[in-house]
Amino acid sequence: MVNFLKRVFFVDVLAGLALTLKYTFHRVYTEQYPTEKPKLAERYRGAPRLNNDPETGETLCIACDLCAQVCPEDLIVVGSERDPDTRKKVLTTYTFDTSRCLFCGLCQEICPTNAIELTQDFELATYSRRNMVWDRTRLEQGWDRIDYGADRETASGRESSRYERKTG
Amino acid sequence: MDSVFIISYVVIPLLKIAVIVLILSGAIAYLTLLERKVIAHIQVRLGPMRVGWHGLLQPIADGLKFILKEDIVPSRADALVFTLAPIISLVPAFVVFSVIPFGPPGMLEGVLRWALSPFFSPETVQSIVESGSVSGGFVTDINIAVLFVLSVSSVGILGIILAGWASNSKYPLLGALRSSAQMVSYEVALGFSIIGVLLIARSLSLVEIVQKQQQDQLWYIFVQPVAFVLFFICGMAETNRLPFDLPEAETELVGGFHTEYSGFRFALFFMAEYASMITASAMATTLFLGGWLPPFPSVPAFSFLHLVPPVIWFLLKVFLLLYIFIWVRGTLPRFRFDQLMKYGWKVFFPVALGNVLVSAGVLLRFI
Amino acid sequence: MIEPTILDAKEIEINMGPQHPSTHGVLRVKLKIDGEKVRQAECIIGYLHRGVEKISENRNYFKCIPYYDRTDYIAAVSNGLGFILGVEKMAEIQVPERAQYIRIMMTELNRIASHLLWLATHALDIGAMTVFLYCFREREEILKLFEALFGARLTTHAFRIGGLWKDLPPGFVEAVKKFTDEFPARVDEYEQLLTKNRIWLDRTRGIGVISAAEAIEYGLSGPPLRGSGVPYDVRKLRPYGGYENFEFDVPVGKNGDTYDRYLVRIEEMLQSRRIVEQILQKLPSGPIRGKVPRVLKPAAGEYYSAVEGPRGELGYYIVSDGSTQPFRVRIRPPTFISLQVLDRLVRGHLIADVVAIIGTLDIVLGEIDR
Repeated sequence: MVNFLKRVFFVDVLAGLALTLKYTFHRVYTEQYPTEKPKLAERYRGAPRLNNDPETGETLCIACDLCAQVCPEDLIVVGSERDPDTRKKVLTTYTFDTSRCLFCGLCQEICPTNAIELTQDFELATYSRRNMVWDRTRLEQGWDRIDYGADRETASGRESSRYERKTG
Repeated sequence: MDSVFIISYVVIPLLKIAVIVLILSGAIAYLTLLERKVIAHIQVRLGPMRVGWHGLLQPIADGLKFILKEDIVPSRADALVFTLAPIISLVPAFVVFSVIPFGPPGMLEGVLRWALSPFFSPETVQSIVESGSVSGGFVTDINIAVLFVLSVSSVGILGIILAGWASNSKYPLLGALRSSAQMVSYEVALGFSIIGVLLIARSLSLVEIVQKQQQDQLWYIFVQPVAFVLFFICGMAETNRLPFDLPEAETELVGGFHTEYSGFRFALFFMAEYASMITASAMATTLFLGGWLPPFPSVPAFSFLHLVPPVIWFLLKVFLLLYIFIWVRGTLPRFRFDQLMKYGWKVFFPVALGNVLVSAGVLLRFI
Repeated sequence: MIEPTILDAKEIEINMGPQHPSTHGVLRVKLKIDGEKVRQAECIIGYLHRGVEKISENRNYFKCIPYYDRTDYIAAVSNGLGFILGVEKMAEIQVPERAQYIRIMMTELNRIASHLLWLATHALDIGAMTVFLYCFREREEILKLFEALFGARLTTHAFRIGGLWKDLPPGFVEAVKKFTDEFPARVDEYEQLLTKNRIWLDRTRGIGVISAAEAIEYGLSGPPLRGSGVPYDVRKLRPYGGYENFEFDVPVGKNGDTYDRYLVRIEEMLQSRRIVEQILQKLPSGPIRGKVPRVLKPAAGEYYSAVEGPRGELGYYIVSDGSTQPFRVRIRPPTFISLQVLDRLVRGHLIADVVAIIGTLDIVLGEIDR
């Protein structure tokens, strides 16, 4: 009987309506993406970067080729030549094909010197496929990113939107 | 006499029609924005934010986009019917507004006198103002208005059926079949739910029904609550709103009857749906919520409510009902086709019939 | 002679998908319908085939793992776990207890996330679009946890052979705790919108009924099987990776219809939360990665490792020839097997039910096509 009355008076429907009404005046969860950048976790695996020694400005990469070997997609190509004086391998070129990248992070995991690193920069869209292959300059210095509209207000937009370097 | 005739039966009605069509088009456009915003906030998100402040110009952008889109007619479609269908669907939805009273008779009297007096003699102005429904807050007041609304609005369904048929495609056809069945079953219950009100008001004119509510000092929702609920639910079904949006059930039939439509033709269907939503709300307001009357129309303590213009009261009530339409859409799942029919014939129809019998009995015995 | 049109036909053949709002990816279903009644449904799959199994044959064991994230991309964590457990069994690698606990915690969170996505899309298919957004809100919290720990949201590359990549980041336990504390109230909200709602009941009760015996014959597993009342759960029957240390119930349904499967999954989310809470209480400290040889050459042989994924028994059959690369990997995807029951379930129902039944099977095309 109670169930019948509940049915007649739409109790189930009204319960749902009450919930949705409650949420109508609730704080919204939307992130206004291009204007409001999400705060990504430190470990986030985004755009690759080839780190330089902050003091000397020289590359940390010792051209050991481990990243190229561990990469499941074989998309890293490390070019090196042997320095005739020190008998050490010196990095000459480094290409990283982001179009094929799985962002699995194996390269940065295996890197003995923390030279290759996947950063929190996630805006990798470009207008051409060729643009997706990153060479050494771009890996070291960042790139001329496509402007999504967020940086328009600041003159030095690209600088402001680059994420802070990892600390941990 | 001639100029009086032309002004009071041609010029002023045409002006009124123009105003209503314009306002209605704007209302439809902003109803879409309202719907998107309300549903967004129900779902704890923001909705359109980019075009204008909080998306206020979004409807205009949408409208422009609709106009600029390529107009595709499928090669195997029946081109003539395909083109006609959206128009058949939209026009009745607008025509209905000719009999809906937005305000009481004589509402525009002052405005008319002010506007006409520089050009005509006082006698002519007087005769213009007094002729027909010129000064009323409606285009026309006909004595079969309720029947008119019911019959004209059911023509719109023809557009949906024709659209599904003319597309020469399977999903639209299924959508059209669904809608024809749905409309037929819900129109019956809808009609019966009104009869209770008609019995009490003893009139089919919408203006008179509101005036009767004033005389009886009571909104009819308080004497006919069951009828109101029925009317509202059936109105939802008639306008193809979720939970009854089977003809266009997106997740089942892709787009239902308008799957093959694009560009402005699609926009016409869209407008028709929203216009009939407004119609249903306006009808419910007029029949059950006292039309342009403020709450407690005859209680002296609340007479300050009369300071607000009647049109505002009317629009406020319509807005409230529209909000409920949207709110329900944000809450409920969708019926299945056979369940919809089951509810229509096995629940709503008998209840509406019972409501009529009980109302008639009570009226005969006690009043 | 008038050319017969679709109106003269007794049966119409209608294509659902691969571009249809509710075929969840790129499933194509050829429906034979009579009016709205479905006579027959034929699934056509393969639109998302990427050859993951073949790719694995050309990668060493470490490199394979990211690819399995991409089979069932909704439950990437479980997928990775299944393969990694298999390899650990082959190479006899010991995993430290802390790593085991964290693994279970993350797979259970992934189960919640996966069920949330299922509920969201299932409800949306049936027309309740608000549930969709509410579920995504909670799923977002879990994905943020994934991001903090694994460094990615969807294709997580969650675990490594022998343990984990890195230990929990600071504040992680508190964040999980906050989520598990809030979660039951959220589930109540979904239930408030759906469980007793008459339309939801009408749309799900008695739809797609399959008996226990038949479900076993079809080889179903996971919620579709448990919804029919068979308490088959790999976590209970063949505990792996440390599941024997935790208490949880295996919810079962009675009628084997869409509504029961819905209830089973809702309850499973709460049970997963229970496991996560136990882990938070007992989480031991210690290393997170066991001893793993740099060059992994498991002994030749055949190995089968199965985990209870969110969608059912997720098996990895790995053949090793003693080299660094698997000779053959065969995935037993749970929804590939539950999809074959679709034809049986939809016959006699209406088109609207097809949508509900596809939803209730919780298919992921990435896993079906691989």
